[in-house]
Amino acid sequence: MTTSITMPQLGETVLEGTIIRWLKQVGETVQLDESLFEISTDKVDTEVPSPITGIVDAILVAEGTTVPVGTEVARLRGADEAGQAAGDTVLSPAIDAPVATTTGTAPEKVGAGAGADAGAGAGATSERAVVKAPVGSGPRSIVLSPVVRRLAREHRVDLSQVPGTGDGGRITRRDVERFIQAPPETGLTAVTDIGPAGAPPTAVTPPAAPPPPHPGAAPTLRVVQPVPGPREEVRPLSHIRKQIASHMVASQHAAARAWTVIEVDMENVVRVREREKEAFKAREGYSLTYLPFVARAVCEALLAFPDINSELRDDQQILHRYVNLGIAVSYEDGLIVPVIDDADTRNLVGLARAINDLATRARIKRLQPGEVQGATFTITNPGPFGSVMSLPIINQPNSAILSLDAIEQRPVVIDNAIAIRHRVYLSLSWDHRVVDGATATQFLARVKESLENWDFAEDLGT
Amino acid sequence: MNSKGTRSPAPTSIIQPCGPVDYDAAYEAMHQLAERRARDEIPDTLVLLEHPPTYTAGRTADRSHLLWDEARIAARGASIYDVDRGGSFTFHGPGQLVGYPIVKLQSRLEIIPHLRRMEEVIIRAGRDLGVLLVRDERRTGVWANEAKVCALGVRLTAARVTMHGFGLNCTTDLSWFDAIVACGIADRTVTTLSALASRPVSVPNARELVLRRYAEVFNATCSEASPELIDLFPAMTAPATIAQAR
Repeated sequence: MTTSITMPQLGETVLEGTIIRWLKQVGETVQLDESLFEISTDKVDTEVPSPITGIVDAILVAEGTTVPVGTEVARLRGADEAGQAAGDTVLSPAIDAPVATTTGTAPEKVGAGAGADAGAGAGATSERAVVKAPVGSGPRSIVLSPVVRRLAREHRVDLSQVPGTGDGGRITRRDVERFIQAPPETGLTAVTDIGPAGAPPTAVTPPAAPPPPHPGAAPTLRVVQPVPGPREEVRPLSHIRKQIASHMVASQHAAARAWTVIEVDMENVVRVREREKEAFKAREGYSLTYLPFVARAVCEALLAFPDINSELRDDQQILHRYVNLGIAVSYEDGLIVPVIDDADTRNLVGLARAINDLATRARIKRLQPGEVQGATFTITNPGPFGSVMSLPIINQPNSAILSLDAIEQRPVVIDNAIAIRHRVYLSLSWDHRVVDGATATQFLARVKESLENWDFAEDLGT
Repeated sequence: MNSKGTRSPAPTSIIQPCGPVDYDAAYEAMHQLAERRARDEIPDTLVLLEHPPTYTAGRTADRSHLLWDEARIAARGASIYDVDRGGSFTFHGPGQLVGYPIVKLQSRLEIIPHLRRMEEVIIRAGRDLGVLLVRDERRTGVWANEAKVCALGVRLTAARVTMHGFGLNCTTDLSWFDAIVACGIADRTVTTLSALASRPVSVPNARELVLRRYAEVFNATCSEASPELIDLFPAMTAPATIAQAR
């Protein structure tokens, strides 16, 4: 005798259901009242028990497919009646109460019952039926059910090796059980654990993340690596790039960054530089840039405003009474910050030499490890590239960073007349944990005053 | 509630762990309860608890509704699980009262009324607080002004026992919901009882009201569960919410 299994009624107003999982496959035996398949409607997942003890003869509706109530979804053969042809019955296994006859149930309401959630509705489910991934290919779910995790833990299964057959390649309990019985020779998936190598796959935490508050709940995290398309280039991160990335993120996380900008009239500096640059280049062998002028003024101001030249260590502020000046240098691999030790003890030429030396060696990768450590303050210099204002990230453990942007001729009002002057914006990112706005602004005003008024010619030794 | 069908009086065990319960542990325990309920070893049971920050995905969850990557979720100290209930992504965490009614239904068709009863419990508890909550006949859950305050999702076992249940936001930090399209509905927001009441409504406050209204709506005669069952839900140390509420 063959028993026909139909999509059961799950509510008076529910007209269809989605088969999420067959718990028995064709040829397998199912006991009376044992779960045969699972269906989903709106907010309800339901296990459907078998109405008889028998063998699954045919599965007629695939997982992920939505069908109306009453649709035949499978056929069972009575266990001890296999082969007999007569007396077929149709049973809807889940109905154990009479179906109430309802009146005035609008179809819209019904549709909404099944489609209330964009992600759980009938429309979405039929789409899912189309995209259901074959074993081991395509993107894979990043999450696992607690049952799967427990099984994997108990049997020490590396889940990255288990092909998932669930929705979106999810690893189901059955996948793990099958794997335990017969692990395949190759893992075909593009899923990798992002925890430390050798860690149990069930309790993996990314290295950068803080430990989860409750060790028992350590989430299993998996990364789906999308396969790059033909017009995409894959570039593994270099060591330096990774360091920059983690350093920048750590800084953003640690500091309460605030930003202040001041505009400086550079006529004084421009005039000196124009007059001296030929002789300077002839004597020194390299060009005199604006950076040493600004560095000189900054070093002087840092000694006057030690908060800007300080470091926060736990609940102590360390004030540096010297300046180790970091200079951000871009080169082909990324960015590096060589340090001019005791920069406050150097004059303009001394600073120019140090900057030229470090920047040159940085670009040809000839810096010593000690030359990129111990900065107490940092200057970044995107000006040559044309930017007029920048909002840099603080170079930890410094408390501030200054950006020197492009010096441009701008119209400005001087003594009620419009004049053309060389002007620049100096931007300071500062850490509000240890510096306040008044201090930051006073510091910038000091730098401005120096640049506008100092006699740099004296400093150049001319 | 008459139209939703009435239940005959049912003795019901109440399990209220004294602190947040790890999702993993609660999930296992809930399945154990359901199995034992199926064998009639225990009466209907209502578990009321809080979880540490946890995202769960129902079987029909759309992956694109997870908006943060795993690293960001982990960095905030949350876990993420696939679970065997209906519905999409949701969040459980501090400040949210989670209820798991483990109830043996007379008929499979009772499952929709079961959802409606849970909604009714929350609506009445809201009324006790002076907060007007409503159903959306097209969208399961409990709502206030287009914002969802309580999400629902259940599983019905082959033996007609319900699992999973509701998550009622009391003082929940709603920024957790930035990680997901909650319940797969993009054009709706989430809210809390505290926001709706314009005063703090703690989880213990809400739990008391929900318990009373549950007894009424589910026609349940409530008593504390046996210690053995309560022990299935080990409370983690630092019952933060409870301490703060008292």
